[in-house]
Amino acid sequence: MVKKEEENMAIIISGRGMALVILVLSYILFYVFMYLGRKGREIPVRTLPPMAAIPEGIGRAAEMGRPVMFTPGIAGDLNDPTQGPQVLAAISILGYIARECARTGVKLDVFMPIPTALPLTEETLRTAYMAEGKPEEFSPDMIHFIAGQSPYLTAVLGYFQRERPATNFLIGGFYYESVVMGEGGNTIGAFQIGGTANTHQMPFLVATCDYVLLAEELYAAGASISKDPDILGCLRGEDIMKFILIALMIIGFLLGFARNPVLINALRW
Amino acid sequence: MAEVLRREVVYLITAIVTVIMFIEFFFVGTWNVAEELRTWATIIANISLGLGAVRLLSEHAKNIQKRRAGVWPFSIWLWIIFLITILSGLAGYVTTHDAMKNPLYNWLFRWPYTSLGQTLYAITGFYIFSAAYRAFRARNIDAALLLIAGCFVILTNAPIGGVIWGGIPVIGRWFLDYGQAPAMRCFLIVAAFGMLAYGFRALLGRERGFYGEVAGE
Repeated sequence: MVKKEEENMAIIISGRGMALVILVLSYILFYVFMYLGRKGREIPVRTLPPMAAIPEGIGRAAEMGRPVMFTPGIAGDLNDPTQGPQVLAAISILGYIARECARTGVKLDVFMPIPTALPLTEETLRTAYMAEGKPEEFSPDMIHFIAGQSPYLTAVLGYFQRERPATNFLIGGFYYESVVMGEGGNTIGAFQIGGTANTHQMPFLVATCDYVLLAEELYAAGASISKDPDILGCLRGEDIMKFILIALMIIGFLLGFARNPVLINALRW
Repeated sequence: MAEVLRREVVYLITAIVTVIMFIEFFFVGTWNVAEELRTWATIIANISLGLGAVRLLSEHAKNIQKRRAGVWPFSIWLWIIFLITILSGLAGYVTTHDAMKNPLYNWLFRWPYTSLGQTLYAITGFYIFSAAYRAFRARNIDAALLLIAGCFVILTNAPIGGVIWGGIPVIGRWFLDYGQAPAMRCFLIVAAFGMLAYGFRALLGRERGFYGEVAGE
């Protein structure tokens, strides 16, 4: 009876309390380190090899006189809670790739299978070419929209054979197309940079690409390019949260031995 | 000024929508606003789908009009297939309220489209095979360990593994449950934090790529 009354008076949905605590704690840490970063505190970050390899890949395309291909995969729409952020992060990286391509005069072809991401992609490319002072080189025809997984895959494979791009960027939310496109790119000898946070596709990208952005690296890729204090601050906040989670795991491990359910009950709150 | 204002409006809408969804997920009570917003999102997505179809047809009409080399015959084909599909689907919907009940629409979807899609999906096996060959080449100690673990997992999934030696499925299952699963969960947790941070920056209007801006502008 008392328990039922407690449930009726609850403000937070049962089972989501600890998630809220972790979320709020994460946001506080992100904000504090973003603030410190803006105030000039140095936050060191290692260079991500895949990001450092982007100019190399585009330079290779310039030397060979062949195009560069970018695609974010077809795993989900922008409003998909797990795939959407990956696609958005990939489009951020596309902005950097587009600037490099504009600077070096390399042809860029973008295969975008997600209809809702199409306007953002167009805007990103247009802005990148404008930032390099070459707005006339941007054309919406650079973006190839192909709906549906199988037609998209077939189109990309056909493009590989016809245009033989020197460098492929397979960065975003992928499903099984990752291995097909990765292997297709290998067949034509393309230099490939992959990236995804989908755990089931990581092995395929690792096996088929020269460099891969794994998990959070996809979201943090911008930091290694721009050294933006906001991104660096968030990275530091993430690191501290990881230490907190590791500590919780160790405590849980020890409490488990003592058959003490305190932590389990707290996590289920 | 207009550009700055436009940007601020986008930041503001993003922030308001995020906060509403946040409250709905964590706090008790019927939160009709969040449901309404989801309905809006569906409606907007469908409108954009219609606009996309119109844009697609107009682009291909231009290809036909200009006789763009190597493209215009395919544009004609796209127009033909588009019209057949949409008209047969609409006919099915008008007569029976179910597009799939139109025999032509059903045939187009079931036989050419689904069959071709499944064929492409099936050949993925060959791509995985060649990717595995590349990954499993024992060039160093790491790759050699991967090769050994991979062999056990492959033989666990293949019925012949258990016939060769009863311990193979046990070891293979151990690799899957205690070797692979924790590593993947680690990636999952780390990716979730990356996503949280990305969302937080977007919420504060500090994730420039989210708004179509590029680094170094």
